Amino acid sequence: MIENQDRIWKDLLQEFIKGIEKATEELEKRDVENIPGAKQALLQRLNNMKLHFPTNNGEIFIRSINDKIQNAFFPDTQDFIEAFEKILKSRTHEQDFIINELLNGFVTSKAKAIALGAQGPVIDRMVEAFSKRNDFHIVDHQFFAMFGDPNKPRSYIKKQLEKLVNMFGLLSKELVVEKDKRTSERKVYTFYTFPDEILKILEEKYIVIDEELGHAYVSEEFDRNVFICMFLANTAINRDDLEKIGGTYTVNGICAIFALILLLSFMPKLKVDETNPVLRDPGFKENNMSIIPKSWMMKQVLESLFEPLIKVVAYRLGGGLWFSKIIDSEVNKKIITQVRFLLQDVNKWILGQMVRVEIPIFIEIANIFTEITVGTDSQE
Amino acid sequence: MSSRREKWTDILPRYMTFISHMRPILRETRRIILNLDADLLLDTEVLDKIRQEEEKRNIRKVRALSEFSAMYRSNVYEIIKDFIIKYRDKIPIIDIKDYIVDFLHESVDALVVLQNITNPDERNLENTYLYRLVKFIEEKIFSRGNNIKRIYEKLLDHAPKFYECQRHLLMPHTYYREKIENPDFFMIPGLSPKVYRIINNITSLYNLDPNFGNYPEKDNYEIPMILKNEVFLPYIDSIANAEEDAIENIAERIGLRILDGIFLAPQKNTVEIFLEHNFLRENKQSDETVRLIPQFSNETLILYYLAFASLRRGFLSKELINWISMNFAFLTYMGVLKWKLSDENIFYAIFKDLQTNEKVLPYLMKLICFPNYIGVDKMKIRDSVQYRKEIFNFIGSQIDNLKEFIEEIAIYCETINNKKKK
Repeated sequence: MIENQDRIWKDLLQEFIKGIEKATEELEKRDVENIPGAKQALLQRLNNMKLHFPTNNGEIFIRSINDKIQNAFFPDTQDFIEAFEKILKSRTHEQDFIINELLNGFVTSKAKAIALGAQGPVIDRMVEAFSKRNDFHIVDHQFFAMFGDPNKPRSYIKKQLEKLVNMFGLLSKELVVEKDKRTSERKVYTFYTFPDEILKILEEKYIVIDEELGHAYVSEEFDRNVFICMFLANTAINRDDLEKIGGTYTVNGICAIFALILLLSFMPKLKVDETNPVLRDPGFKENNMSIIPKSWMMKQVLESLFEPLIKVVAYRLGGGLWFSKIIDSEVNKKIITQVRFLLQDVNKWILGQMVRVEIPIFIEIANIFTEITVGTDSQE
Repeated sequence: MSSRREKWTDILPRYMTFISHMRPILRETRRIILNLDADLLLDTEVLDKIRQEEEKRNIRKVRALSEFSAMYRSNVYEIIKDFIIKYRDKIPIIDIKDYIVDFLHESVDALVVLQNITNPDERNLENTYLYRLVKFIEEKIFSRGNNIKRIYEKLLDHAPKFYECQRHLLMPHTYYREKIENPDFFMIPGLSPKVYRIINNITSLYNLDPNFGNYPEKDNYEIPMILKNEVFLPYIDSIANAEEDAIENIAERIGLRILDGIFLAPQKNTVEIFLEHNFLRENKQSDETVRLIPQFSNETLILYYLAFASLRRGFLSKELINWISMNFAFLTYMGVLKWKLSDENIFYAIFKDLQTNEKVLPYLMKLICFPNYIGVDKMKIRDSVQYRKEIFNFIGSQIDNLKEFIEEIAIYCETINNKKKK
């Protein structure tokens, strides 16, 4: 079995190297860069990747995906609490864009995706519902009231709530009122809250517990991304149950976004002439942004690099099961071209140049690459 | 509410109604606390009794108003009680009393400003808080101008600081109610997440590898073009069919046009604007033709959409009008609160409560729609309770950049105040 796995992994590394070679060929044919030396820098980097990626059985990939990407966004554990805690910890203003994209990313991949249409706003309302109470509970009645008459909730609202409660792993508790004030009839109210362990984690930053009054308020920091982190944690721990996490498109969507993070982290920083207008653009912040080559976004280059990269990510995240679910058809090519316009807030255009915002995940992965490259060079 | 065309003098009293009921409650509570021996505050039952007495004095005949007053008073007293219980072992009760009185004082001050934000006959319009604040916000995120070029210029000036707010203003959270292609060609809807992605894709395609074709309006010039079909290539399961069908409308809103039936190219006016802002660069070819090379930023096309919406603000969709005016009302309201209330003020929660918001913001939204302010069709402001709930709930999902903007508005409030004093 292990031998078999090794063979798949080796084949994948091999395929990636072939992808790099093909991308290099495509790159040689055209030049869409207008910064002197940009194309050369990318070719050089691809060459370096070709040389160093197979080192130590693909150590760069293993460490980047297993240690960095999984830890930050998709923890490899069966424990929901642990997964949630890790994802929550990796939040920064910019990394929040990635977390959001992981949810939104599925929308373009699948017609009936998890957060399509009105569901995103429904999450916003759950945030609002939690903010309005001082016991960190929401009541179905209160939630329905946000959409109209709480006594006659529409069936789709009820279904949405049920779906979200399951997705976020919320706990429910029923309160039976024998004689409801309005109708004088028996009425059942359902309260929802987070499991205790989750509350404990949230206490650090997102909930203010007032022991004296026994109240729990949400802080200013509590937002929709807390829920999205729960959703990701849930997806991460259920990665072996494809039906539970939304099926093939979810797998492809997650892998495409992580593959993009990897690729962006490996892109070289370009040195530009000090008269370059990008440097004077008010949107460009020299301390946390760098200009990177844009040729990787050319369709032909992108396909060569992404096809094997997505498989590499799939195999590391979900083993043979995920690997077998990577769509290998025209649809895959479409997903790959979608990648080009994902993560627009950390991978942005400024005056026609591709600029990377140096967020922690990019820096950490780039450091692994540098560490291994330099290590290998000095050994030689 | 009736659908007749409401006048300023119809809406302003409605806006005032609830605010004018909040202020006396807070003022009265402050007077009571001030006159109360601090030690008595330690016994929360005393506060309960006072509240009961106060409620008896309630002689209002309009049910909605008396219910609101009771709710408001009860919230105020609950907050005071909680504050006392929380701090009675940590802070001397005399200091707690001072804090409460100060917080109430600040809250009354905020209500004074909100109550005097404008006046019934719009006298001295340019000196009113409402006018000044709306103009301040408008200048930065929904600028006015005689033409799109001027508006675009202004928006771009403020983009480094407030681009996320500008983009937020274009993206109603009720986008799923919108039609991208309206039977009325002029109608401008908000930006849905899908259209936003399509625009991002267009930006990428222009920057990467555009085709070049003759500039129809200028000999010897070439403009960049991208294939319309390529924009939609990434979509599977026909999920962008509606957008594809409406591409002509979408293109117009971002300053592009369809050429030869297959290309997306910038309009003449857009070429001039983009050249001026360095989003297009002239490059002389060996055959003496001048090629306009695109060098777009993330905001290039999005801000064009916003400028377009601003110029044609008379033709905005219902969703977009509600969203824009709600954001203006929210920013104005929060700006005043930020100015008057200290961050630790315990009554912030009441001001931000949905029950308070829904009594104040809908009318503020309508006032803000009048021609002297943002000048959009106030008849499109929805009156249904359900819709109000829906829209105000989105306040909970506000973005960081909005919070920064609110702080700037609060500072501006102080500036207005200082000028008024002079």
